[in-house]
Amino acid sequence: MIYENAQSKIRIARWLYSPTARALGALVVVFVLGLAFNADGAFFNWSTHRDMLRAVSVYGILACGMTLVIITGGIDLSVGSILALTAVSFSLLTIHRGISAPLAIVLCLLIGAACGVGSGLLIARFSIQPFIATLAMMVFARGLGKLISGGQKISTAVQLPDGNYSYVEAPQIFTFLNSKVAGDNISVVTLVFLVCLIISWILLTKLRPGRYIYAIGGNEAAARLSGVPVSAVKTLAYGLSGLFCAIAGICQASQELQGDPEAGVAYELSAIAMVVIGGTSLRGGRGGIWLTLLGVLTIGYLEKILSINAVGEDKRLMLTGAIIIAAVLFQKTRK
Amino acid sequence: MKKIKGLLIMSAVMAVIISGCGKKEKSETEAKWTIGMSQCNLGEPWRVQMNADIKKAADAHTELKVIFKDAQNDTLKQRAQTEEFISAGADLIIISPKEAAPLTPVVAQAYQKGIPVIVLDRRVLGDQYTCFIGADNKKIGKAAGKWIAQLLANEGKVVELMGLMTSTPGQDRNSGFREGIEGTGIEIIFEADMKWLEPNARREMESALARFDEIDLVYAHNDPGAHGAYLAAQAAGREKDIKFVGIDALPQEGQIYVKQGVLEASFEYPTGGKEAVEIALEILNGKEVQKEITLSSRVFTKENIEQGGQLLSQQ
Amino acid sequence: MDRICKAFSGVQVLSDVGFDLYSGEVHVLAGENGAGKSTLIKILGGVYDDFTGQINLGPEPVRFKSVNEAFAKGISIIHQELSLVGPMSVAENIFLGREKTRGMLLDKTSMAKQAHKRLVSLGLDIDVSRPVADFPLGTQQMIEICKALALDCRIIVMDEPTSALTEPEVEKLFGIIEKLKNQGCGIIYITHKMEEIYRLADRITVLRDGRHIATAAAAGLDKEKLIQWMVGRELNQQFPRHLAKTGEVRLEVRNFCIRDSSRKGRHKVDNVSFRVRAGEILGIAGLAGSGRSQLLGGIFGTYGKSVTGRIKIDGKQFRPVCPKKAVKAGIALLTNDRKENGLVMEMNIVQNTTLASLSGFSPGGWLRPKSETAAAAKQAQSLQLKAASLDQPVESLSGGNQQKVVIAKWIQTNPAILLLDEPTRGVDVGAKHEIYQLMNAWSQKGIAIVLITSEMPELLAMSDRIIVMHRGRITAEFSRESATQEKILAAAMGEKVPA
Repeated sequence: MIYENAQSKIRIARWLYSPTARALGALVVVFVLGLAFNADGAFFNWSTHRDMLRAVSVYGILACGMTLVIITGGIDLSVGSILALTAVSFSLLTIHRGISAPLAIVLCLLIGAACGVGSGLLIARFSIQPFIATLAMMVFARGLGKLISGGQKISTAVQLPDGNYSYVEAPQIFTFLNSKVAGDNISVVTLVFLVCLIISWILLTKLRPGRYIYAIGGNEAAARLSGVPVSAVKTLAYGLSGLFCAIAGICQASQELQGDPEAGVAYELSAIAMVVIGGTSLRGGRGGIWLTLLGVLTIGYLEKILSINAVGEDKRLMLTGAIIIAAVLFQKTRK
Repeated sequence: MKKIKGLLIMSAVMAVIISGCGKKEKSETEAKWTIGMSQCNLGEPWRVQMNADIKKAADAHTELKVIFKDAQNDTLKQRAQTEEFISAGADLIIISPKEAAPLTPVVAQAYQKGIPVIVLDRRVLGDQYTCFIGADNKKIGKAAGKWIAQLLANEGKVVELMGLMTSTPGQDRNSGFREGIEGTGIEIIFEADMKWLEPNARREMESALARFDEIDLVYAHNDPGAHGAYLAAQAAGREKDIKFVGIDALPQEGQIYVKQGVLEASFEYPTGGKEAVEIALEILNGKEVQKEITLSSRVFTKENIEQGGQLLSQQ
Repeated sequence: MDRICKAFSGVQVLSDVGFDLYSGEVHVLAGENGAGKSTLIKILGGVYDDFTGQINLGPEPVRFKSVNEAFAKGISIIHQELSLVGPMSVAENIFLGREKTRGMLLDKTSMAKQAHKRLVSLGLDIDVSRPVADFPLGTQQMIEICKALALDCRIIVMDEPTSALTEPEVEKLFGIIEKLKNQGCGIIYITHKMEEIYRLADRITVLRDGRHIATAAAAGLDKEKLIQWMVGRELNQQFPRHLAKTGEVRLEVRNFCIRDSSRKGRHKVDNVSFRVRAGEILGIAGLAGSGRSQLLGGIFGTYGKSVTGRIKIDGKQFRPVCPKKAVKAGIALLTNDRKENGLVMEMNIVQNTTLASLSGFSPGGWLRPKSETAAAAKQAQSLQLKAASLDQPVESLSGGNQQKVVIAKWIQTNPAILLLDEPTRGVDVGAKHEIYQLMNAWSQKGIAIVLITSEMPELLAMSDRIIVMHRGRITAEFSRESATQEKILAAAMGEKVPA
């Protein structure tokens, strides 16, 4: 009896040290903060949580792709720019060219994937460091987005030949993605985020390329010498990241009812922060998608709590920075 | 061998791009006067609009040719580009500087050389320039405050969504507004810095909606912010109970929102592009112009949008 | 050291171990991998400070909280894993953590001079301003030794210091040890190599499974008794080799060249030709830098297409392009550095075992964890792998068991040709024996084996034929019967030797 109790105690103790437990711990702490600073009870309304999920979904979708890339031991700085590029493309195709939603979605996914594959080839074939390659893609995609949009937001206001503007109805796909379902209780983009999480989970845990992603991040030399197709898998990871950026871009455009070439600036930093706080190591080879979900929720709740309490901008920045550091230190407890 | 190939490809690509850029600047006929326009950045749509306004006004006059340079928000770059205008012998310079102090010397240099300089929207220091054209954010904010007070019959709960509060437009639109509603029963129940961005405004509005059951009006420092707040309210089913007011009134943005009924009103923040070209013509034709020209602003509401808005009285 | 106990997250690694050392003696610490030797010396050297028990230096009790504290008291450890920083220069590495300063600034010139002087006294005349990563593994180990030898050491611990050294370098090291003995240093020496134990030891202490088994004077100690203490059982034959029936030629290499990109006109592998038959073990001898590992790597495809020559596998032409193609063609390469490029440390035993053959376990891309675990379990059994569970990350295994996982990975690919590069490096006696048995079994099955090993007895015992390489070329070939240590060494050093 005593032996069994001891065994289960050891098992519990071991779980408490696991990355999942630590990420969960950070989330619980933030949640408790929300309960304490609940802004006249606003924190107890479901609408607050539903809106937090809506706001964080686009970042979360970016974080899914970022998780894949970080586990391979790389990084993707271009996610914000690809988001803007695809947001602009989607708006142009559906609003101004009247192209059907499914076709426009497929084209935008291809654009995002192409950007990702471009970065991936630079990294895998030409051995350029991920930081530099994706930095270059970040600048290039941003420029491309500004080029095809003429530097202007692509909205439902269409310019007529005489220079004046008239407005058209927003395409149905926009209103659909911007809406809520299940009795107004959950936003469509949150469901899209959930689907992206599940796709990432299946890839990382159930498919062969997922195992290869972990192997390459854990020890690239060992993976290569074991016959793992390292170049192909890396290119796949970055290509998928680009694909997720495109999904995020379409969601962003729908929520803003416009494609903004300036969208997504500094989103890559939020995505990276969410992945890191979740416990996936930047060194690669460790981590997982559910950890990223915990990181996404942690940051999402943090921002929401600061927002409903109308905390001033200066204090917000300092608090967010401090909590990110605290969460990461908490992750670093001794093995 | 690989490296040489790479260099050749890079040079070829660069040559194509640069030659493509150069072509656009060839004009059909010889213009009489060349104007150099130095824009601090083209990242803000409002500045893109400013350049567009200048171009439209200048196109109507065949004796004018305008060369646009974009400093990409870099003061040193803008200084260098202005110096290029001076040495290329521009007949007149229009400049919208990023910051006052670093660009004052180069503007003074042009002015002292006899090149007329029109400073647009943001100031330089001192008086070594021909003319300053700009709108007054404080006045606009105050006008908005007074208009809102009138609309709400001097009493109501207002949410203020602010632009970047470390920038003067944000501070001025904020302080002007406070001045405008002073003495009335208008209460600002929630304020947040949405940094001019629509997604941020939507998020902040969601928080406000979660906290307060009664909101009468949202005053946003720019139209994208007001639009974001509208979307948040719409998602909560409360957009009919709340009025929305924004600033900028760009024809493809704020004015459309007013037409659609999204915004109750939008206060124009004029770019001054058209006025700049008109004043430039006067200067080039030898006429005297005022040193300070404050642009008038219009307010666009659903009632007056077809007539092109209503001028705000100068107060 | 008295009654030392240490546990890692619940697992007891040392129980009640006692150890003492006299000045001027070489005390060998022996035992299988996982016996606790590394842990014990890390406690002495200040790497771990949470343990129970007592340590006395002379009359005074000590307890070190950091490596520098131990170093200050004259205790220095030369670890098995090199602690050098690749991109930093040799001089910077030698003084890492103990930099000399003039006031506030680093005194680089004096450090460079001292570093050079010390290295010369070890017989190494190299450019101390070049990064350490530029030098071959053997030289790096000498640099590591130089780093640890401070001016006044009372106790020096050496953990498998000769594993990457060539014969002449080993001799130099033994000379240094002699000198240190005469200076009154106490030396703790950890090794697996029998000849070294008997050559150097004044006393021998054996640990097994975290416990102290015995301490005895080296003189007059029976080899068999020593092995028995270490493994707890009698090992009659250290190197049993059962010759298998040789069949057709499985691997044929002709005029194989790998150019040296850093030095014009030089070749890493220069016009090498050889053949290996089914069931045969071909041993390759040579000193460090002779190109043996590069030869195997080139055949395996690690140099991509920038190799010349002809390779035939089972009679069919084979062009090395990348490791993936080589695995497909039936070649397996077990590298000499499992930590660097043999295992993914964070992954568990199952995942490492299936890594090279994963397509077989994932029809249509979907992984089948159950079949992976089953295959790994089968391998673990046939290799006598000692692990608490197959779910363990491989970094928690001992060296010998780690090597078994690497072996399992390659056997899982069902290879026709096995290229083994130092398969028993860092492996304890018991596991070594098991690996030799495996090599016998493989050759019985008809697999052609190429064996690189720097341990002469192992080479002589297990090879059916031996070729010797020197500076990228084959300088001699011997049959099992005609090979002797002296002839091989001479050929390895470039001299002409009759077969």
